[in-house]
Amino acid sequence: MGEGRQRTNWVLLSLMLSAVAAWLTLDAVSVAPNRIVPGSAYTAREVMDGWPALLLALPMLAVAVLAWQPTRKGLRLALVAVVALLTLLPLWLSAATAVLVESDMPRARVGIGSALWLLLFLLLLALIELRTRLGLSRPMGWLLLVPMGAGWWLALTLWLEPLALLREYQARSDQFITALAMHLVLVGAAVGASLVLASLLALAMRRHAGIRRAGFGVLNFLQTIPSLALFGLLLAPLAWLGSRIDWLSAIGVSGIGWAPAFLALLGYSLLPMVRNIHVALEEVDPAVVESARGMGMNRSQVFLQVRLPLALPVVLEGIRITTVQAIGLTAVAALIGAGGLGTFIFQGLGQAAMDMVLLGALPIIGLALMADALFGSLSERLRPGGAA
Amino acid sequence: MKPASLTGNRLTPLARQRLWLAPLVWLALLLLLAAGMGQLEWLFRLVEPDMREVIYRRAGFFSLLGQHILVVGAASLLAVVLGVGAAIAVTRPAGRDFLPLVSQLASIGQTFPPVAVLALAVPALGFGTLPIIVALLLYGLLPIVRNTLAGIASIDLDVHEAARGMGMTAGQVLRQVELPLAAPVILAGIRTSVTINIATAALGATVGASNLGDPIISGIVNGNTAYILQGALLIGLLAIAVDSVFERLIPGNPG
Repeated sequence: MGEGRQRTNWVLLSLMLSAVAAWLTLDAVSVAPNRIVPGSAYTAREVMDGWPALLLALPMLAVAVLAWQPTRKGLRLALVAVVALLTLLPLWLSAATAVLVESDMPRARVGIGSALWLLLFLLLLALIELRTRLGLSRPMGWLLLVPMGAGWWLALTLWLEPLALLREYQARSDQFITALAMHLVLVGAAVGASLVLASLLALAMRRHAGIRRAGFGVLNFLQTIPSLALFGLLLAPLAWLGSRIDWLSAIGVSGIGWAPAFLALLGYSLLPMVRNIHVALEEVDPAVVESARGMGMNRSQVFLQVRLPLALPVVLEGIRITTVQAIGLTAVAALIGAGGLGTFIFQGLGQAAMDMVLLGALPIIGLALMADALFGSLSERLRPGGAA
Repeated sequence: MKPASLTGNRLTPLARQRLWLAPLVWLALLLLLAAGMGQLEWLFRLVEPDMREVIYRRAGFFSLLGQHILVVGAASLLAVVLGVGAAIAVTRPAGRDFLPLVSQLASIGQTFPPVAVLALAVPALGFGTLPIIVALLLYGLLPIVRNTLAGIASIDLDVHEAARGMGMTAGQVLRQVELPLAAPVILAGIRTSVTINIATAALGATVGASNLGDPIISGIVNGNTAYILQGALLIGLLAIAVDSVFERLIPGNPG
């Protein structure tokens, strides 16, 4: 933004002061001798006499000071400090693990405490704030996360073997891969099928106002029904169909499993998809179409060369919304035996094994964020006149 | 079902009363079904002829419905107060510094699947009803904050200037100009929030809350389709009834 000194950045200041407070007072790490026995928790100050914790608190205080009278240079420095802190966190955790886990505890499990989670959250918020203030682009923002990713990757492959989350993954890595694949297949199939169906529906809606009204009515209605209820309502008729019709049961249609999950996902995906395709086709400026016709293009040329390219960003926006929604709903589908990452969430909740819950929930959040970023930037890039 | 709502406030009082017919019918259906589920035993017997028990009896449907409404209501009410409050705070001169962060947080947060948020609330807060209310509250905040910000941002600067020019104080501008003009967008955000909350609360049955999700989960565990249908019908009706109320509240609702 402007040059020279600016008003105090209260956002950054309060983020950093809360980060220091959380870091020095809350539990940062816990160690349990095995999966069943509850562990003992330590604050960051109790690990290695506390000096690494204090050392990490220094850059946070420095950022807070820089935020007091921020200059552009100061904010850049703050950005470097925040990225460095995010990179150092996994290394601190590795050091703490090395110190706290004794060699006679082969099954020891290290848990990440609230201080560490909170610090991670606050630092990421600070990163977003700094990115906005410095006017950095979206891809640049993602680039800033690379050092942190590298830090975690290094720590996880080399030093963090006792991390409970990692132990939970190693105990069922095959299952995890299968679940991840199932999750992606279900989401992909539902989004793909809804794209085709929604295109047909949207084209039909352009022709007939009656279909438009009825279609949006039904889809809106469907969107209102809670996912668990829709899965349940599909269960009975599909079980009946599966038991009566041989070829259906031969391809695996039954009350539980992929069939009700796919149908429900498809139903939920249709509304955002149809709405966006419909808007995309309607919103093309009639004057543009007119001049294309004037240039001698026929109907299909107008559609392929004018309408479609102009509509694409809006359609991609629809794919983005649909995919993010489907990733979350597929997690619920685990309840009716459809597999996917939700399996770990519900199994973990059933066994009160919180690391298993995390093993399901964190990748789901990661997938949703990645899909959002991917389709979001694609749609931005394809927008006429608006490169990323 | 919808065309009448498009004409908004130009309706005669009689026609306006008719608009409330749909929500009332849905509500009546919901209550009737909750009360008379036992009378429908023959119907559920058709679905599960071999089961010993075809009506869910671990808790009354009314108390399950009440629990569900209580959890969603408490979370949504808090989310409205906090969400609209936060959005107003960051659009005032004193809080404007926080606006970019809050608006980005609200849109990034909505990418998080509600199930995942519910699942993360349990390690943080434990099992039971309280973590569900907190998870619903946190997640429900996002659409409300986002829509309130969008609603206030969409108001023409000229309108603002005119109101100030007439001698209105900042508080009067907020109460008499900004909030009424932003109301439809805010209400749409609350509607999204409540719809998501009703669905997510049902999942709360997996983390130890007793509500309408209970018969469904118990039906899945015991392989009893009749239980599942009972829970699913009631949750579906509840969601539709609540949604139809919002449908009537939002003027000129664009479907």
